[in-house]
Amino acid sequence: MRPGTTAADTGPHPDTAAARTAAAHTEGAPVTAARKASRTRRARGRATGAAAGVLLTPFFVLFTAVTVVPIGYALWLSLFTEKQSGLGFGGATSVFSGLDNYTAALGDRAFREGFWVLAGYCVVYIPLMVAGALALALLLDSTLARARRFFQLALFLPHAVPGIIAALVWVYLYTPGLSPVVKAMNSGGIGFDFFSSGGTLPSVVNIALWEWLGYNMVIFYAALQAIDRSVLEAATMDGAGEWRTAFGIKLPLIRASLVMVSLFTVIGSLQLFTEPLILNQGGSSTVTSTWTPNMYAYTAAFSRNDYGLAAASAVLLALAAALLSFVVTRLTNRKGAKA
Amino acid sequence: MSRSWTRSASALVGTATALAVLTACGGGDSKSDGAGKGTADKPVTITFWAWQKGSKDVVDAFNASHKNIRVKFEEIPSGNAGGYAKISNAVKAGNAPDLVTVEYPMLPEFVSQGSFQDISKYVTDDVKKQFLPQSIQQTTLGGKNWAIPFDAAPQAYFYRKDFFEKNRIEVPKTWDEFKAAAQKAKAADPKARIGTFFPDDPTTFEAMAWQAGAQWFKADGDTWKLNTADAATHKVADYWQGLIDDKLVQNAVSFSPEWTASLKDGSTVGYLGASWGAGVLKGTVPDQSGKWAVAPVPTWDGKPASGMLGGSTWAVTKGSTKTEAALEFAQWMSTTPEGIDARIKSGTSSAFPADVALRPTAKKAFDTSFYAGQDIYRLFDSAGSSINANWGWGPSMGTTNTTLKDQLGKVAGGSVKITDAIGAAHDATVTELKKRGLKVEG
Repeated sequence: MRPGTTAADTGPHPDTAAARTAAAHTEGAPVTAARKASRTRRARGRATGAAAGVLLTPFFVLFTAVTVVPIGYALWLSLFTEKQSGLGFGGATSVFSGLDNYTAALGDRAFREGFWVLAGYCVVYIPLMVAGALALALLLDSTLARARRFFQLALFLPHAVPGIIAALVWVYLYTPGLSPVVKAMNSGGIGFDFFSSGGTLPSVVNIALWEWLGYNMVIFYAALQAIDRSVLEAATMDGAGEWRTAFGIKLPLIRASLVMVSLFTVIGSLQLFTEPLILNQGGSSTVTSTWTPNMYAYTAAFSRNDYGLAAASAVLLALAAALLSFVVTRLTNRKGAKA
Repeated sequence: MSRSWTRSASALVGTATALAVLTACGGGDSKSDGAGKGTADKPVTITFWAWQKGSKDVVDAFNASHKNIRVKFEEIPSGNAGGYAKISNAVKAGNAPDLVTVEYPMLPEFVSQGSFQDISKYVTDDVKKQFLPQSIQQTTLGGKNWAIPFDAAPQAYFYRKDFFEKNRIEVPKTWDEFKAAAQKAKAADPKARIGTFFPDDPTTFEAMAWQAGAQWFKADGDTWKLNTADAATHKVADYWQGLIDDKLVQNAVSFSPEWTASLKDGSTVGYLGASWGAGVLKGTVPDQSGKWAVAPVPTWDGKPASGMLGGSTWAVTKGSTKTEAALEFAQWMSTTPEGIDARIKSGTSSAFPADVALRPTAKKAFDTSFYAGQDIYRLFDSAGSSINANWGWGPSMGTTNTTLKDQLGKVAGGSVKITDAIGAAHDATVTELKKRGLKVEG
């Protein structure tokens, strides 16, 4: 998102610069020069158009092949159901079934419960993530911080571990009878079962936080570093302390990153899949195979062989994600407009 | 589920190796001129997907002794760990291998998806009579044959002989005695449990319902009759609910690190499994060699009875044009001493061949020192013949077992009772069958 904005920002600059140069050159003969300039501009426009076309083609080819076509195929699949006859041992034929798969998904309690699990996850995870990453970034950016580079790297390091590996490591750390952490907690009098029905959500949130906190922290930190230092100096001159600077100056200035991180976190949360799947396969029987909507789609396709249902539930999840992203963007924009 | 596949797989492996020692009905090189079978000059290449231990060795042995057929082997994850998904995706995409492995419970699901070929004309009476009748019955759906059986998987009870002897606990013959033994063990050592409830493994529970005489799926004409609320299922569900509520059994995911840790530290001293479990257990806790023994699974009335827990077959995929070559290889794996021998020699398998004549081969090849020399194959033999012949699997076991697994996971937490879990699986199955356009009652 941000790279896109930057490109749009810098886009016009060369042209303006070119126009300025052109203007400087033609001071002596305004009319001819202006005509010449407009001609060059037109030529340049054509060239730019061609260049843009060439440069954008690979993107659109890939975009079509790996995004548009699969989405279209999923929509198509979601409209069909496999029907069988007799005892069902004569093979299946694909039959158009309209929106049946959608009503089947929405009518399935397991699918609906998945959204409740997601809601619970979002309520716990998103505030913890955004606040945590922000707090760490502000700490690193404050004048009090020591060994910045070290902490920056150390905090980011978990993100370099692939999600599956991270989940596997955490499953080990959660497993009673195996985990040194559980053992230490037990001997300290804190008996917590990470695999119990109440412990599942915190277990998953913990893995996700561990993985993503450093990543989001780096985004915030980069934004903080980009703040014009003279603004901060001015604030200090006016007598603002660290707290005041952080909340009164820095936060409003990195609002764009805040919005972006929130948006990405919301979308990422909706797609919750890897961590609970590994928990499901690795020892926690309380994480069901349909625990999140994404897992529901996966199970429908690969355990139940119902590709139509899988496609329909995936489309429903995508719709939910689009809706929520829209809400988040609108909310933050309105706030921005007021400020 | 997947774990049980793995277990059965390794069991199969064991059997295979043992059989190979004998010289028996052979690889059929002589009939290599049939269509699709290839010749020494023009060998046919087939691809084969499996996860059973020793498959690679079996393939190598086959390739070394056959000139007309080349087998290209690719190891895939075990069924529930993604193997079944891989197979059904490949079939859908049209790039499936010629021959794949599938366990008895999942065979109807694949057949109903149209993934496999009808091989009835190759499974002649001569072929059928080589196998345990129950294994042929399990691979016959809608009057047609769909797979070549590999192993049978009668239930068995594995226990720590040293623990039972030290605490003077009788090896239970009935389920009542099993409960009493569990109480006695717990009294002797508050941490000790003589069995485990596997919340992730519906097939273990189903095997016990099967043993008790339940018959969940019945085909009547072209209607499926579902009956999960029968007396036998109730009896088993209530019994296990009691064991769980009284904390007389462990609650751990089957073959999880947690369960393995409990075996290692001696808090799990018994395991209700099946024939293939002998090899798996041996591989899981090799340092407890000599301390384990095997007994017939406890029964309700003291008379021998068994369900079947897992067990593997070989099936030819829909798109394959090399049916005969694939079947020749499949039969070689299942029904020749060479095939069985190559498999068992490669690993720690205790497979119990569905081909009755090859059991001595398997027995000979299996190293029983882990069980202090006990003749475990003789025990499997009698357990195998006591397998209740009534049980059949339904056409949507993917849905049935996934739902049952999800619900059984909540039993230990107390939010769901076993009977509720079965009810949920029942409802999900009915919904699924109706969605597919099948007639269903129950």
